[in-house]
Amino acid sequence: MRRIESKIDTSSDEFRLNRAHNRGLADTLKERHRAARRERPVRDLDRLSRQNKMFVRDRIELLLDPGTPFLELSTLAANTEYGGEVPGAGIVSGIGIVNGREIIIHADDASVKGGAWYPLSVKKIVRTLDIAIENRLPVVHLCDSAGGFLPLQADIFADRYLAGRIFRNQSILSKLGVPQIALVLGHCTAGGAYVPALSEYNVIVRGTGAIFLGGPPLVKAATGEDVTVDELGGADVHTRISGTADYPATTEEQAIAIARELVGQTQRPTKLDVERIAPEPPYYDPDELYGVIPRDIKIQFDVREVIARLVDGSRFHEYQPAYGNTLICGFAHIWGFKVGILGNNGVLFNDSSLKGAHFMQLCNQSRVPMIFLQNITGYMVGRDYEHRGITKDGAKMIMAVSGSEVPKITVICNGSFGAGNYGMAGRAFDPRFLFMWPQSQISVMGAEQAANVLADIKIRQLSREGRSLAPAEIAAIREPILEEYRRQSSAYYSTSHLWDDGILDPTNTRNALAMTISVALNAPIDRPHYGVFRM
Amino acid sequence: MRGAGLSGIGGVLMQHTFVIAEMEHEAWLSRRGDGYVLHVGEKAIPIALADAEGGGQVLGLGTEICRVLIAPDGDLVHIHVDGSTFSVRYVDPVQRYGSHSGGSADDIAEAPMPGVVIAVHVKEGQPVETGETLMVIESMKLETAIKAWRDGAVAVVHVGVGQAFQRGAPLLSLAPQSET
Repeated sequence: MRRIESKIDTSSDEFRLNRAHNRGLADTLKERHRAARRERPVRDLDRLSRQNKMFVRDRIELLLDPGTPFLELSTLAANTEYGGEVPGAGIVSGIGIVNGREIIIHADDASVKGGAWYPLSVKKIVRTLDIAIENRLPVVHLCDSAGGFLPLQADIFADRYLAGRIFRNQSILSKLGVPQIALVLGHCTAGGAYVPALSEYNVIVRGTGAIFLGGPPLVKAATGEDVTVDELGGADVHTRISGTADYPATTEEQAIAIARELVGQTQRPTKLDVERIAPEPPYYDPDELYGVIPRDIKIQFDVREVIARLVDGSRFHEYQPAYGNTLICGFAHIWGFKVGILGNNGVLFNDSSLKGAHFMQLCNQSRVPMIFLQNITGYMVGRDYEHRGITKDGAKMIMAVSGSEVPKITVICNGSFGAGNYGMAGRAFDPRFLFMWPQSQISVMGAEQAANVLADIKIRQLSREGRSLAPAEIAAIREPILEEYRRQSSAYYSTSHLWDDGILDPTNTRNALAMTISVALNAPIDRPHYGVFRM
Repeated sequence: MRGAGLSGIGGVLMQHTFVIAEMEHEAWLSRRGDGYVLHVGEKAIPIALADAEGGGQVLGLGTEICRVLIAPDGDLVHIHVDGSTFSVRYVDPVQRYGSHSGGSADDIAEAPMPGVVIAVHVKEGQPVETGETLMVIESMKLETAIKAWRDGAVAVVHVGVGQAFQRGAPLLSLAPQSET
């Protein structure tokens, strides 16, 4: 494998302007992460300490092996919803190391609305458990929730992927033999009571932990019975009488120590035997990514410059270097793991689509995980391309990406528009993980194109009524559409709605990829087989 | 028989190529028993390398044993042995056997996709340096800079600002390079 020869001039004005711009975006991201993780109203933190409970971040820190990496997922979930008052959707999710084993954490954040589950909290927990299922990751649940947020109950309860899915996923994990350990650190009420009940092991803290289907006020209203929290579902009730909980703990610290011991007893998964060599840092500094990404999403850049700053030794074996050049395909190593990379270098044409579909089959054939680097405005339009069958060639890519058995990990590096999102392993195509970069945008078409289409419709409508519009009136139609479109296509909107697993600082991407490839190899890979490719 | 001494059939063997003091050297390492054998020309020499106490390595070559210090530095490896330092560069075989002849296609920038010219930054006859932006085109919401792919002089600007073109159309030519 040869080193990619970078053609970027790191002393150019262009590079320095890009770097300043993208560093600024990375700093904003960092600050927003910090605020979502740590900034809470004083009264909420006071309430926690009055209740003798730890802040969720401190619990997680105590649980993890010291000095090991923690890949937090969807930190900015719900950042654009609920008036911005539910940071992280009130849930912490992430992959870390406990007693030498890779695990995934679902933790309720009681400093946010008492840990109540909002619709996006449910979506985040379901996603966390989907990741556990797909990657056979043991789960540690840190339970401390007031229960479902009742004013929005219609959006959390009944549908296929709402709260019931949490318990369904827990049962599937158990069926697959992937262990779950639940710590009852606060109340587990109603649906929440099933989280510890459906875990292989659970620990409950005396005094603060409680499990019940209906809390004391509900019991009082239903049957008139007067009962305290402890009598109804405290540590002693469940570890001595009901058998709903396994281990009583006198403090949160002890509960976490027991959890660490339990994780240590789980069987170590056998990782898939894929090629792994001694890791090596990229020859080109990943920090230069800030200067590589243009300030304007419309400006094209060479994805090989990105690949050079992600992979070991910046070495890349490019497949079909002379064919279908708007899609770059090839093999490389990331922290020693062999990967197949597909990166957009322009619009997808017939040849680049065929190349992509073919390369995905090669990766499946040789069991190489695939990394998709998205920067795609779509498939080429126009008579020539329709005649050549651009739609059926795009369909081949979609067939290949859907039928792939090897793990897929997608990074949206810049634009993700239209069907290009699909052919390049967008969210609907089950990549094991999907991350976005701060400046990236995602929507069915570009904001300006959409605003033009919608404004045109309006203008034609009015002209049928015999009215014509002055330029100022047209602008008045276009501007609000443009603004709403921009808002909804931003990476922050995407991550708010869990269309992705988080926004990454580009310079952290290499490490995030390595961790996710590593966990992806816990699950078996089937032999490749596909549906019908339209020829 | 091929393999025994690495030189049985008279043809070229795909050995590793190294450059030391601007000279190319070919060598190959093969496994034999528990160790390795270094093949250079007709010679096959048992070779072993181990970490030495107090830093550096111990190199065994045939019957000789010496202390060496090996320091990788990007594409180079500096080797200090017997009071001398050698800088060794590995030559990638795909690059080494690649042909460097430039055809006429190397003189023309072709449109990577159909689109419209939105800016032309150079005039015919103007000298340009590699990487310099010659022209900017727009297609499918994307602006692509057409950059000088080598040093040279602009021969022809085939399309002007506002002009549309098909994929593969010539955009701009550089004057042919004279053979040296």
